[in-house]
Formats: sequence, structure tokens, C-alpha cells
Amino acid sequence: MISRIEEDFEIELRSLNGVLSVGISRHENDDVDVVTLVVNSKDHVATRSEASHIAGLYYPDATVVIEDANGVLSPQRSDGTRIALVKADYDTSDGICEVQLAFEGRIGKGRAGSGPLIGGAEATLEALRNLGYEIPFSLMTVTNVTNGRDWPVIVTLRSLTNDADRFGIARADDDLLSAVKATLDALNRFLSTLEIRS
Amino acid sequence: MATTGSATTTESPRAEVEVDAGVLSIMPTMTEDAEGEGGYYEPWLFQTMLGVLADRELGIGFIYSVLDLLAQRHGLSDVVVVVRHESFGTQMFRLGGEVVTPDVVARVGAEPGLYCEPDNVPQMECDAVRTACHVALSLHLARFSASHDWLTNIANRRSFEDALDSAAARSSRYDWAFTLILLDLNDFKKVNDRDGHMAGDVLLKQFGFALRQAVRSGDTVARIGGDEFAVILSKAEGHDSSDFVERLRKSLIELGNYVEFTIGTALAPRDSTDPGELYGIADHRLRKRKGGGRT
Repeated sequence: MISRIEEDFEIELRSLNGVLSVGISRHENDDVDVVTLVVNSKDHVATRSEASHIAGLYYPDATVVIEDANGVLSPQRSDGTRIALVKADYDTSDGICEVQLAFEGRIGKGRAGSGPLIGGAEATLEALRNLGYEIPFSLMTVTNVTNGRDWPVIVTLRSLTNDADRFGIARADDDLLSAVKATLDALNRFLSTLEIRS
Repeated sequence: MATTGSATTTESPRAEVEVDAGVLSIMPTMTEDAEGEGGYYEPWLFQTMLGVLADRELGIGFIYSVLDLLAQRHGLSDVVVVVRHESFGTQMFRLGGEVVTPDVVARVGAEPGLYCEPDNVPQMECDAVRTACHVALSLHLARFSASHDWLTNIANRRSFEDALDSAAARSSRYDWAFTLILLDLNDFKKVNDRDGHMAGDVLLKQFGFALRQAVRSGDTVARIGGDEFAVILSKAEGHDSSDFVERLRKSLIELGNYVEFTIGTALAPRDSTDPGELYGIADHRLRKRKGGGRT
């Protein structure tokens, strides 16, 4: 745990305009050597000056380095660019699930049998592929945690490319919705790194 | 690395505490908000929070401790948590207190979340950790703001009064000497009227900086009013205040925004050991000097 003084030093630096991150490197004797600030601001000169003053008060011998993250930080995604669940239906007569997902105004549809749990997860994968995503995973398991209502559903996906298996967990109003959300949860971090095919 | 969602609850987290054979453990529980959405709470995270709260407040140090524990639990080589705070804006913290370099900033983006290498931490645990980090940052800021002046980042009046009470009590009990110095900027109102309040704020900020540079470790520097400052020089006799004033002048010149100021001093225990009396003596001397036009 860092000391109270070190904490306050860092919070002073982080309160400067545009500072995103602070890193402090030390000599072998534990004296502070370099204080690095990553800044997302157009006025680096003012930030450097203030940071140098602050560092000088706490660690007079430390060097202050400013790294520019201006233009690097991706803009905040709006809700409109997220994958949204439009529809999830389960037909009890034939055991078929239909899932519709939306992304940037386009709809991807998927259908699968085998009940609300397996069918919901399979239909979600198909809907994502229908939207244009390359999904190199296959469904391995879908588990309702207690075989009862209102408990989380866990979906496990096996990688087709020797990558790590992925699993997601969700709890919604019914098993179908839980399975859909758990599948999206399992792929959430993977999807955000992908470019969608046009 | 990718972003995670967040679980928001309207209730405060509940934990069932079990005491078994002298071992206190906290079980994870599910909570529900008005929409029936659940929140998940990690027992190891609770234990860490309680451990820290047992002897100090949550702050930035807690964030690094949590990232370290998370990395140990899941064998992570790197972790970055992105928090969006209403006062600080976007803030990023990395495992081991390392800086989040611009290439990593580009990868993780501005979206609040937890980013792990390898990406094997369950989503709910990610959410719980990110929320805990946000809370720790907010509490640290609240603690800092309660004791510091928002503009100059030096102690505020309340902290100064506490420090003066403590110093006076020590002086009374152990006969320790200290010097109270009150400082008032000359013609500050004219600066505000002539150059605007922004320029006035810059001047105050720089004066605060110069004061911090001029004191020694263990001394107290505070802004106690608009353009009024106070310094407690611990274990100091009268001649120490002259040295302090010289250091202050030098700092102001180096900062390139020199401003004239007037001081009034009171020495404990020689003048008094009562904090109210000491303040009154220093203030009286300051007014007397100001009336005479002397620094």
C-alpha cells in the first residue's frame, strides 16, 4: 500500500487538466526518479509547468515527463453504436428460438432449436454472424445455475482457433433472455476488438 | 482488452457475515434494484476494503492494491481500470502503479471498464472491481477536499485551526516553540479589478505554491480567507520567520508573478499558548504593519 503522502501527490497530479494516468518510477534506493503523466490536453506547457511545481514540492529531484495522448483516446461510444437486443422469442410448439440483434441500424437474425437455453445461445451466435461478425467460437455448454427460475445462466464457448474458452453469465426475466445475454456477455470483450464486416 | 458493462443497484451492498471458529468471512450476496437487476459482490473485494478501512481511508492506494490482488487471483500480467469521474474526468490506473502509456490508452479507449491480460476475469467481477475503484477515487477526493483549499491545494481554514490547536497544546505541555505567521496580499483587490478574477486566481494559486516551497517538512500552510494565508512554523523562533520570508520572496520571484504581502507574527510560548490569543496577536501585528505600509 502506498503512503498517504504518495496518494495525495498522485491525486494532485490527477487533478491537473487532461491528466489520464500517472506513473512513478523509483531508484534502487526507493527515491522517486521519474514522474510520468499521460495527458489528453492541448495545453501541455501549462500542465508540465504545474506538474513540475507539484513534483518539486514532494520530490525535488524527480524528473517530470509528459506523454501525449491527445487524439489517441477513442471517443466515447454512444448507446446507438452498441449491439442491442431487439427480439427474443421462444416457440413452445416446436422448441425454436428466434433472436434479433441490432447494430448501427442493421438487424441480424438467428434461429435455433433445442429449447430456450441452448436454442437461445445458438440463435444469438447466428444473429451475430448475420450482423457480419466473424465468430470463431462454438457453443460448449449452457447451464442454468440451479435449474430453477430467476437464477443466472452460464454460457461457455469453445474457441475454434485454439484461443481460450469464453464464458458469460447473466440473469434476466426468463431462461431465453438469460441465455442470450450470457452469450453476449461471453463475447462482449471479444466483439469490441473486432471490425465488423461490411 | 475490452470494455465491461456495469451493474447498478439502488440498494447498498449487503453482505452476510458468518463467524465460524473465530474466522470472519463475508459471503457474496445478490442484491436487486427496482427493475429486478442483480448486482454481484466479490468476497475478496469486501475483505480488502474492510482490511483497508480498518486502519485508513480508501484512496488511490486501495485501487492499486485491488488491481494487484486481482492479478494474483487470475494470473494476470496486466490490468488497467478506466474510471470516469465527474470531477477528474477519465482516469486510468494500471497494475503496479505503472503509467498507462498512449498505446495502451488507444487500445482501451475512454469507456469505463476493466481491461485484463489475459482476458479471463468474469464480467461481474470486473464490474465489482471497477465500481470499487470509482468509490475509492471519490472518497479520496472527498477526503482531500475536506481538508484542502480548492484553488491552491494547501490546507483550508478548518485544517489550519486544527493544526494551530495541536501546536498550541504541544507548546503548552512541552514548552515547544512555534511561530504563527499570518500573511495578507497587498492590493489584491486592485489586481482583481484591473486584470479580472481569473488573473486573481492565478496569483493566489502561485502564492500558495510559493508558500509550500518556502516552508519545511512539518510546517503548515493554509489559505484562511480570500487573500489571507497562514503558516505555522513548527519548532521555530523569531529569526526563523525572517528566513521564511526571504525564501518566500525568492520563490515568488522564481515563479515570475511577484506580489507584495504583509505579515503578522506571534510566537509560542513566548506570546501565548492559547490558539485564539496567538491568532489575535498575529492579526493585530499584521493590521498594524498594513496601516504602516510595511511588509
